[in-house]
Amino acid sequence: MGAMLTNPLRVGLRQERVISPQCLVIFGASGDLTHRKLVPALFELFRQRRLPSEFAVLGCARRPWSDDDFRARMAEAMASDIAEHRTAWEQFSACLFYEPVDLQDPPTVVQLGERLKLIDRQRATRGNRTFYLSVSPAFYGSGCRALAAAGLLADPARSRVVIEKPFGTDYASAQALNKVVQACAQESQIFRIDHYLGKETVQNILVLRFANTIFEPIWNRNYIANVQITAAETVGVEERAGYYETSGALRDMVQNHLTQILALTAMEPPGRFDPESMRNEKAKVLQAARLANPDEPWKCCVRGQYAAGGAAGRPIAGYRQEPGVNPDSTTETYVATKLFINNWRWQGVPFYIRTGKRLPKRLSEVVLTFREAPVHLFDAAGGAPTPNQLILRIQPDEGADIRFEVKAPGSGMRSRPVDMAFSYDESFGEPSDEGYVRLLADAMLGDPTLYTRSDEVEAAWRLYTPLVELMEESPQQLPVYPYEARTWGPAAADSLLADDGLVWRRP
Amino acid sequence: MAAQLTLQAPLALPPQEVGDYLQRLWSTELEGSKGASTFTLLIYEASWLQQQMVRTGLVDGPITGLLDRPLIERAKAAVSECGLPLSTAVMDQRLSWALGQRQGSHHSDDLRGQFIDSAISAHMPRRLITLAPTLDGGRPLETLVSAFCPLIEEGAAAAQACGDAVVLRGGLGALQGNLGLIDALVESGLPCWVWWNSSLDEAPELLEALARAGRRLVVDSSLGVPRRCIDLLVQRIQTGQAVNDLNWMRLRTWRESLAMLFDPPSRRNALEHVVQLDIDVEGDHPLKGLLLAAWIADRLGWHLVSSFPVDGDGAGTGVGAEFERTDGATVQFRLMPVPVGVPRTHPGAMVGLRLVCAPEGRPPLCVILCSESGGCMRLEAGGMASMELLEDVVPVPEESEEMELARLLGGGHDTTNPLMVAAVQLAARLLPA
Repeated sequence: MGAMLTNPLRVGLRQERVISPQCLVIFGASGDLTHRKLVPALFELFRQRRLPSEFAVLGCARRPWSDDDFRARMAEAMASDIAEHRTAWEQFSACLFYEPVDLQDPPTVVQLGERLKLIDRQRATRGNRTFYLSVSPAFYGSGCRALAAAGLLADPARSRVVIEKPFGTDYASAQALNKVVQACAQESQIFRIDHYLGKETVQNILVLRFANTIFEPIWNRNYIANVQITAAETVGVEERAGYYETSGALRDMVQNHLTQILALTAMEPPGRFDPESMRNEKAKVLQAARLANPDEPWKCCVRGQYAAGGAAGRPIAGYRQEPGVNPDSTTETYVATKLFINNWRWQGVPFYIRTGKRLPKRLSEVVLTFREAPVHLFDAAGGAPTPNQLILRIQPDEGADIRFEVKAPGSGMRSRPVDMAFSYDESFGEPSDEGYVRLLADAMLGDPTLYTRSDEVEAAWRLYTPLVELMEESPQQLPVYPYEARTWGPAAADSLLADDGLVWRRP
Repeated sequence: MAAQLTLQAPLALPPQEVGDYLQRLWSTELEGSKGASTFTLLIYEASWLQQQMVRTGLVDGPITGLLDRPLIERAKAAVSECGLPLSTAVMDQRLSWALGQRQGSHHSDDLRGQFIDSAISAHMPRRLITLAPTLDGGRPLETLVSAFCPLIEEGAAAAQACGDAVVLRGGLGALQGNLGLIDALVESGLPCWVWWNSSLDEAPELLEALARAGRRLVVDSSLGVPRRCIDLLVQRIQTGQAVNDLNWMRLRTWRESLAMLFDPPSRRNALEHVVQLDIDVEGDHPLKGLLLAAWIADRLGWHLVSSFPVDGDGAGTGVGAEFERTDGATVQFRLMPVPVGVPRTHPGAMVGLRLVCAPEGRPPLCVILCSESGGCMRLEAGGMASMELLEDVVPVPEESEEMELARLLGGGHDTTNPLMVAAVQLAARLLPA
């Protein structure tokens, strides 16, 4: 008999935190994110019995749909998910509602307030509301203003608003947006989402560091030589050319996702695991971070753009040949940069960050390379001893490896590196929840621990301001090097490390 | 403990005036305050143990309905003073019955329904109705009314909704004679939770009347005669009512610990080859152990062939059973009562669990889970030298009933947890007639 696919004893046990009665209001309900991520995540929460029976989802968009239209469209988009859980879908879809709302049209927002009161009565949702702005970033500020003007954010204990990325396009715009949303609601009501923080393995960085005593004593400049953070994608720009042309890899990945990973990797231990303690430490470490050469930022950053590549018979188009992309585009699809963190723990330790599209592998990882042993007593089988490494694999094959030297078999005393591996699959054997499941649940629980606070967002933008300014004011100083699709980025990115006598880890 | 901020001193009113008074309270005297649009919590708060301990002078008052540590410690001492077996849990009704045989006429304030645990008040119940039966069964009904607001903690949002608390105190006869008043006090249009915070053996008519269809019932199947408790659960679940059992909820750490051992896919195959399941429980209340066994059997698809009483080796009567696995092989089950020197608060607490798996072509696997508060000598005794052994200690969280209840209130369901439904139905068949 084959091994069971799931652990039958595990079913139904993940009920540690149950969401309070409430109504989740999704603006942009006719958009992709709603049926691709949000409603599937809510359905998953429903199937895990983590949603109370006093619950409702109110989809809002400009289209004149009815409740039944909304339900039917969600059912159509999620047909494959629903097929195996038809009864559960019947129950869940009864809590889906729809209201035509234009956030730029105040009367419809007032009407929304009336509809919410009605839903409170119908579903006993107790006036608790989470507003999810899945709309164009241009409408984040005006959307919050409209909600506030209609009195829908007046009760800080019962209303909160979730804002998708990107939160601003640079330091100034992020500051301005923060001012607008903070004028509409208290900071405790504002949930700036970064879906990377919903990943189990990103959260595991915290557990690994702060639930064990073996790592923290060596998690500093005395033992760690450098840190590499990589997020590599094999896909190209796909259907997002319109957005990506105005964004690029720095804004799309580095300022938010990779900088959040940097913060979790480098932050000090919080006094306790509560939202403010956590976010205080993240903000502090981001405020202490700086580019390796802030006055000459072109020396610590390399930009690239994928060119045509691929094997014979399976050619891959270059970025400039992608539909919707300017044939002369200078948008970067690859960026690598070097940072330092000016504090007692990390002074002098370089942090290298890179991300790119059309790279050879899809993976995200954090690699901490330790200092070499002070004296090499043994010959290394590979010529030189490999420094110890701790590799945190965020995706795929989630887990962690520790690389260290052991005696190679044989009569001599030669050393060679081996890996001690932890794999989520082998230890837990079940896929972890999609990031949105965790983050939506947290927002509805009013737990902002995994959401970014205003000062974090601003610190992250401030960190990259020299690069953003250079890209806009003097792009020729930060050229976009072409790299062949399915290679590890432009050669200049290797030079960034070669100058320090290092190489990128080839996963 | 008393995280209650009353807006007014509890006011004694004639029962017939309570409804009108509450209406006036919110419309005029508390104008501007926000009444929570949440739920009604109806609590049957007998607190016989505390009442008897106060009456006999073992503890000072007031009577609060809350099981605090000094009360529990004094009750543990009273177990031996009353000549009961040392394994008797303080919530075992034999203790309050034994205390009831003692002389004593100490009096104290009865503040049941006025001490609201912060875990519960944090959920901002719209109305708390406490039925407080008195030792004097003939005592007429008294009604007390007050409004309350949750304490605002530092850093918490200031806008908290308030509710009101109604206490109906008197002999059981008086409570049963005023069911109409109770029903009128339950806010229509809001969910209503009924927490029967007492033995399931007592006042069945009152329980039946309070736990009407549509109300969400919370009981504790460790309190009462096991057969009556499990039958009541089965019957209530069959009506379609949302039933929550605190005894089942307290199994959470055991279920989690057992599941955790089989999370690695390399071990899952062993679950298909279980040949023996042994469970030890404190004292002679087997329901908690049976619920755990039934959950395991249900999750692994076992079919119950037979169940029978077994000799508990001087510590009472155990339960034996034979299951058939999905591949037709037999699983032997034994639940044994074991004496313990320091019992937990509730009867029938889990002591340990042993699961023996015999996968084909591999050495047998023996899993032993042991409560952190006791030993598992019987389960660890002999026969395992040739087995792969997995042992773990199960944490026993010190949580009050109020904390458990608050967990339910925080995100209530209007249906019964399907895992509990399956476990209850099978446990009812496992318990020998």
